[in-house]
Amino acid sequence: MIDSPALSTPSSHNRRPLSAFGQRFAGRWVFALLLVAGCAVLGLLVLAPLYTLLSKSVENKDGEFVGLDNFAHYLSSGGIESAFFNSLWVAGLSTVIVVFLAFMAAWAITRTRLPFTGWIRGVLVLPILAPSLLPAISLVYLFGNQGVLKSWLFGAEIYGPIGIILGSCFWTFPHALMILLTAMDNADGRHYEAATALKASPWRTFWTVTVPGARYGLVSAAFVVFTLVITDFGVPKVIGGQFDVLATDIYKQVIGQQKFEMGAVISVLLLLPAMLAFVADRYVQRKQSASFTARSVPYKPSHDRRRDAVGALMLTPTLVFIFAIIGMAIYASFVTFWPYNLSLSLNNYDFGRMDGGGWGAYLNSLQMALGTMLIGTALVFFNAWLVERTPQPRLLTGVFQLLSLLPLAVPGLVLGLSYIFFFNHPDNPINFIYGTLFILILSSVTHFYAVSHLTAVTALKQLDKEFEAVGESLKASRWRVLFTVTLPLCLPAILDVALYLFVNAMTTVSAVVFLYGHDSQLASVAVLNMDEAGDIAPAAAMAILITVTCAGAKLLQGVLRFWVDRSTRAWRQGTE
Amino acid sequence: MIQQTQGSRLDIRGVNKFFGDFCALKEINLTIEPGELVCFLGPSGCGKTTLLRIIAGLEQQTAGLLHQGVTDISRKPPKDRDFGIVFQSYALFPNMTVADNVAYGLRSIGMPKPQVASRVSELLAVVGLEDHARKYPAQLSGGQQQRVALARALAPSPGLLLLDEPLSALDAKVRHHLRSEIRSLQKQLGVTTIMVTHDQEEALAMADRVVVMNNGVIEQVGTPLEIYQQPASAFVASFIGAMNFFDSAPVNGQRVRVGNRELDLVRPLPSDQSCVQLAIRPEDVHLLPNGDGEWEGQVESMDYLGAFIRTRVRLSEVELELVVDVDPRSARQLELQVGACVCLNLPSDALHCFAA
Repeated sequence: MIDSPALSTPSSHNRRPLSAFGQRFAGRWVFALLLVAGCAVLGLLVLAPLYTLLSKSVENKDGEFVGLDNFAHYLSSGGIESAFFNSLWVAGLSTVIVVFLAFMAAWAITRTRLPFTGWIRGVLVLPILAPSLLPAISLVYLFGNQGVLKSWLFGAEIYGPIGIILGSCFWTFPHALMILLTAMDNADGRHYEAATALKASPWRTFWTVTVPGARYGLVSAAFVVFTLVITDFGVPKVIGGQFDVLATDIYKQVIGQQKFEMGAVISVLLLLPAMLAFVADRYVQRKQSASFTARSVPYKPSHDRRRDAVGALMLTPTLVFIFAIIGMAIYASFVTFWPYNLSLSLNNYDFGRMDGGGWGAYLNSLQMALGTMLIGTALVFFNAWLVERTPQPRLLTGVFQLLSLLPLAVPGLVLGLSYIFFFNHPDNPINFIYGTLFILILSSVTHFYAVSHLTAVTALKQLDKEFEAVGESLKASRWRVLFTVTLPLCLPAILDVALYLFVNAMTTVSAVVFLYGHDSQLASVAVLNMDEAGDIAPAAAMAILITVTCAGAKLLQGVLRFWVDRSTRAWRQGTE
Repeated sequence: MIQQTQGSRLDIRGVNKFFGDFCALKEINLTIEPGELVCFLGPSGCGKTTLLRIIAGLEQQTAGLLHQGVTDISRKPPKDRDFGIVFQSYALFPNMTVADNVAYGLRSIGMPKPQVASRVSELLAVVGLEDHARKYPAQLSGGQQQRVALARALAPSPGLLLLDEPLSALDAKVRHHLRSEIRSLQKQLGVTTIMVTHDQEEALAMADRVVVMNNGVIEQVGTPLEIYQQPASAFVASFIGAMNFFDSAPVNGQRVRVGNRELDLVRPLPSDQSCVQLAIRPEDVHLLPNGDGEWEGQVESMDYLGAFIRTRVRLSEVELELVVDVDPRSARQLELQVGACVCLNLPSDALHCFAA
């Protein structure tokens, strides 16, 4: 099916090496060309917009090249002292707190015999289903001017760094926890037995076995949290008050003052720490080798009441915090008129009465998330398959890997702004997609491409590397192997990627806040706009609606995975 | 009896393979006769697997030609070649039943359903897995999985069967059993077979001819007996079985000097060299009661290995320690024990001589 007749016909008549050579490589060219196309798509979605952004940052309003004047201007305006360093220390402090809490939680889950760890895990990752605006709104209700627990702050203001840090901790916690759980779940029981045999105390075992085993996870979690916080826009927007950070600064320059070139300048400044964290994380990951081999024996914690109690103690503050934030948001969304009329009603869910797009925005969000899920999953898996399971020139796979991971280093706001520059340019032949749902889908697919790609690649790498070779010896094309073997085997990973894309597209604010149009308002942006307009309770209601939708999607995905697992149990038997 | 087309003849001419600057295969020339079972044997990294993958078309040779029968397959993609392959990992499709795995290749060539079914049951009967047709690979033992992989590779009646370390993932007992099973199946079907292995015992037990490889070149091609009894190089001699090596100086065409003695050789020396290596297998050294032999020595250690005793004897007049395999009965007659003095002969027809 791959050889074109033009190539195969002459070669059957004469055996000149060139035509035979052509026939031999005809199949490979198709795959290489497809990957070139994949690279081109990613280049269009990531590189070209970023390039436009960079060039904007060295141009004035009229598009003339001005060198680093814009940067000089921003520096002299004092923005660098306030926003840049504010961003750094807030992100740094949040990182320390989150990684510490997540490590304690991961330890309690993997190293004790506490009951209900399945449920506990479920609760601990709940924040991932909520938009980052939700904790900020909730914190306003808890500690704001009319907050129920305002006195707990001893006169300090929640509007500012405290609020940003608390809110950031809430929504980034699951990201750190999942990385640490992965790092700590696969502990080799032999190491613990060896430590016991060598008469090490539990404390010494902890520092010499547990912590070193999780070190790559710790580093990775720290980089991820730092990047997430420094590039997040939702929390500081809602609760930051007068406290400037880079993300809100971009928004103010672009939306408030229409200074696009200054937005580009700050974007470049925001890109720097994110890129740095990305490169450092890649470097550390490369050094990591699998310490859990086929010979390892999974660690099983022994019965130890005291250790269980310590574990419970470590989990309690985090669980209470998560419940408090989500509970407050739910409660506030039903309260008729805070704080004067505390009777419960559905008034706040009557979005038609408010600005921000109402239920239409919610339906748009659903469409956008579904579109991102379908297009993204297909694109990610197909490209990952080309890279992992077809013969490719090494240079091409290298280029593709770089392009596919690059979105990880590009903050959503920066991506969104660069999309304005690139897709709204009058000379861009596809500028008609600007302001439609489609550009929102494209930006979301791009924004969340890297993690999806890594999931897909991991799943594809786990398959026996000789499947395609066997297929070819049995006269089956790679396509047939793809549909009869590879895809069925990757179904769980495909479901994971689909859920990841749906949830993130549903909750994201940063990339889409510059890109939505009059007919493509989104639920998450509506939360932001309602909050800005002072309709905080409806904002909370919309945030809860988004969270419930994501939880529903998660539930559906869980059911599907259960069904897949059950119908494939026969052939997984013995392997798990 | 299951029908099988005649196995094909394979001609490898001047094959070279470079990975960057690294030369993985150098001027490989080899002809494999129809119906033959040939083993590629060598240490890891010797190029044997690369050669197999080139024959399959999974790697492309840098230079050289391959002919299967009269067809030039040098540049053909794997799917246009005529072979079946079994990998070390088997690469069975885990989401398909045993029967679907075996039928996979038949369906890709568009064989009608009833024929597929009968061919599958025929093959499963041959490998003794009729009762497991509806099971999934994960529900089978390693040996059974191996047989499914074999059945799947043989289903489309290929002219050439390639086996890449097919037995190395199995435990010793199953391995020995499958060894003879594969061999008899291969004889019965007459399919030309190439097997890659690093296990010399496996190669000697199964192959019609063994191709010993090292550092990307063929060291020797021969029957198992030839390889063992007339190793063509010091590498082959040391790689196959156990061998004592010691240096000596040539005296003339067929005489060498070891210590103060001169030994006669059966074959002429390799060429004019100032120093050659002599070699003798442990079982070829004759141990004799003290005072009865040419060389005197003392027993340094004895390892009881079941069928024989591996004995180290230090010769007194030259700085030389020889490994000698003695059967337990002779050992009793000689009253062999550590520290005892013995004599030994080095029969000249058992002496090998290699360029140093």
